[in-house]
Amino acid sequence: MNVWRCLSVCLLLSFFSIRSVAQNLDSLLNLSAFTAESDLQKQLNQLAKVGVGKALTTRETPGILSVISSDEIRKMGARDITDILRTIPGFDIGQDVQFVAGVSFRGNWANEGKVLFLIDGQQVNDLLYQTVPLINNFAVDAIDKIEIIRGPGSAVYGGSAEYAVVNIITKQASSLNGVSAYGIGGFHSSSVGRTNGGVMVAQKSKNVQWDLGFFQGKGKVSDQNNYVDQLQAANVNYPTSDLAKVTSADPMNVNVGLKVNGLSVRGMYNGYKTNDPVNFTKYDNYSADIKYEFKINNKLTLTPQYVYMNQIPWSWGTVSDGAYALQARATRSLANLTANYSLNRKINIVGGAVYFADKGVDLLSDNAYFGGQDFNLYNYAIFAQGLIKGRLANVTVGARYEKNNRAGDAFVPRLALTKKIENFHFKVLYSQAFRSPAIENQHLALTGKVVPEKSNVAELELGYQFTPEMLLAVNAFYLNTTNVITYQYLPDGTEGYQNFSRSGSSGVELVYSLRKRNWNMNLNYSYAHANTNSTVDTYKVPQTNAQFVGMPASKLVGVFNFSITQNISWNLTGIYSGKRYAYTNYDVDGNPISTSLDPYVLANSFVNFETKGFVFGVGAYDIFNQKPVIPQAYNGNYAPIPGRSREYVVKISYQLNFKSR
Amino acid sequence: MKKSLGWLLILFCFSVHAQTTNYQVYSVFVVSIAKYSSWPESDAKDFKIAVLGKSKVYEELIKTTTSKDINGKKVVITQTEDAPISDLPHIIYVSEGKSSQLADLLKKLEGKPVMIIAEREGLFKKGANFSFVVLDNNMLRFDINRKELENHQIKISKNLISLANETI
Repeated sequence: MNVWRCLSVCLLLSFFSIRSVAQNLDSLLNLSAFTAESDLQKQLNQLAKVGVGKALTTRETPGILSVISSDEIRKMGARDITDILRTIPGFDIGQDVQFVAGVSFRGNWANEGKVLFLIDGQQVNDLLYQTVPLINNFAVDAIDKIEIIRGPGSAVYGGSAEYAVVNIITKQASSLNGVSAYGIGGFHSSSVGRTNGGVMVAQKSKNVQWDLGFFQGKGKVSDQNNYVDQLQAANVNYPTSDLAKVTSADPMNVNVGLKVNGLSVRGMYNGYKTNDPVNFTKYDNYSADIKYEFKINNKLTLTPQYVYMNQIPWSWGTVSDGAYALQARATRSLANLTANYSLNRKINIVGGAVYFADKGVDLLSDNAYFGGQDFNLYNYAIFAQGLIKGRLANVTVGARYEKNNRAGDAFVPRLALTKKIENFHFKVLYSQAFRSPAIENQHLALTGKVVPEKSNVAELELGYQFTPEMLLAVNAFYLNTTNVITYQYLPDGTEGYQNFSRSGSSGVELVYSLRKRNWNMNLNYSYAHANTNSTVDTYKVPQTNAQFVGMPASKLVGVFNFSITQNISWNLTGIYSGKRYAYTNYDVDGNPISTSLDPYVLANSFVNFETKGFVFGVGAYDIFNQKPVIPQAYNGNYAPIPGRSREYVVKISYQLNFKSR
Repeated sequence: MKKSLGWLLILFCFSVHAQTTNYQVYSVFVVSIAKYSSWPESDAKDFKIAVLGKSKVYEELIKTTTSKDINGKKVVITQTEDAPISDLPHIIYVSEGKSSQLADLLKKLEGKPVMIIAEREGLFKKGANFSFVVLDNNMLRFDINRKELENHQIKISKNLISLANETI
């Protein structure tokens, strides 16, 4: 007899015999319609809100969803956000320029405005280019969970969420009621790879919650010695360098929140500094957010919100003299009003209006970057979404209309049918999505102006829960992007953005989860095939039209966790990435040469010891010392970032919980 | 290909034991509803519950009521594919798959002292005396059609009514 079935029968019998149930009708109030949850089911039954509106379980929410818990992050010993993203189907890392690495998704370069990153609801993507630097960034030990929508989110989140959304929720803003401190050290054979640490404090009572977090780190981009970027060296004075000595990847985050009844206030600072042997790049981004939930009645909630962002993102200059080539301030004032109306248990409607104004100001003394004046963008948007929970399917219908004073307008509808029927679930999703051109996309427009990039995305997910501990889900996607906003570095040295007619990819992703009492494993496989009709030459390589530069077609991930004792766990992560292509050098005529990069296997092992709030972990990353490089994700004059060597990692954290008030 | 099919078969073998809906809880609800309801006097020796259509609740009702009684009567559980015309049970449990037969069932049993409990949500609005509903927090509840209960000459306790998610 099935163990869970036995357990549920025993539990029921132990609580009440048939007679006592009948005698005590109140006990019926606490009976679940479903069998006792296994660990996997607890995870699957978590409510997730893809954007706004009513929360649904992960198997029914209208998006392909990956949820990573703090428990998984802690046990795998993740060093930074790249370690986590690499375990998620479809995600990979690529280089932009100057050793700044960003995200790629489903075989496409997605660093600028295609994947929205949020920390406790605060947008991380910068306002000039919409980028997010990833190497040694994000306080992963402060994360309570990450909800990743592996699919478009524009209809809800707007013009920075065309391909995916990475929604990070910290412990301080959710589960922590106490003090927590954490630190990580990463050590290569002959250098220190990183030293990061942070502290969080949060207090939660029924009506008042406040939290405060601080995180700072110092890290290296790579530890390779005697390095020269052959592509850069042809154009600039590129010294042969020991990257462990000359590079940096230094993040900083300050996060403050207050919640009093329906009023929520959050302020955040995200700083990041990195450099290659020639240039440094810095982000100094502040944001503040205030919103109030007016519960008009049991059915209707109105939420006015005001967000102010003040950033100096992507300022850069030369390492040798510290002189800035670009230093510009970008600000955003955003006002939003959202109405959430639950007609009944089965019908929910959400609608709202957003207005925001972006401004770019040159901070260098000559004030010449924006032509001696401010660079302004004005946007307004309206959005609506309806959810009907039906017997055969949950139907989500939504749309967003956005108009920008320079780019013009964009209208993106979405339709989702989802349902869990006993052990089976399905999701049929169709969305249009868009990327709203940011300040620099318009300012550096090569052809006068840049219009919004737009994607049509169709997705189908089928899942089956074979046992309470085992789930298999397979999804297929088709992603067609038009008016692709693309950075161009032209042979004459000019750079800028322009729309190209189309690009995109199609493929499949498979996720298999098995959670036993003392061990669990997550396997996933993702495959992406570049759309062969892509017109974006800078993404192409001569060897194949099935892959874009820097992108693997296949990725296989296995995460295994074993509880050796109640206090000690061992985690083994294996990541296989297929063949990639990268531009690495010039031929005799001065044309960039694309090279095939061998597949690699990243194997990581981590052991955790946990007792009474204290956690000590030790492990090794890249056990086989494969040093996978991070190629530039377009043909842009940069050779791949050399991979870091095997890294031994030590992590320590301590959490002291306050008494509940 | 053969190997793939083999793996699929192995995976599907696991599914034999997989169940997410807890029909034992449904059966506990049915018995509780019966305990807190009263039917017109009759000389029936047994308390009969008929499950219309295939539902796992049938096996669960048998397990739940073995060696038990309802209102002093031995409980007899049966399963049927068609609505009973003679030897009427006290309760007919309409399985999900037989929901479309509710209208016929109501015609056949009009005015007769048979309680109709429907597995499918919302059927109380179409004449079922009780129908189940799963709340957002996964808790099981029922909705009641009191008017139809009166038509069927069945009385239920106030305590039972107070537990209902919705009554009409």
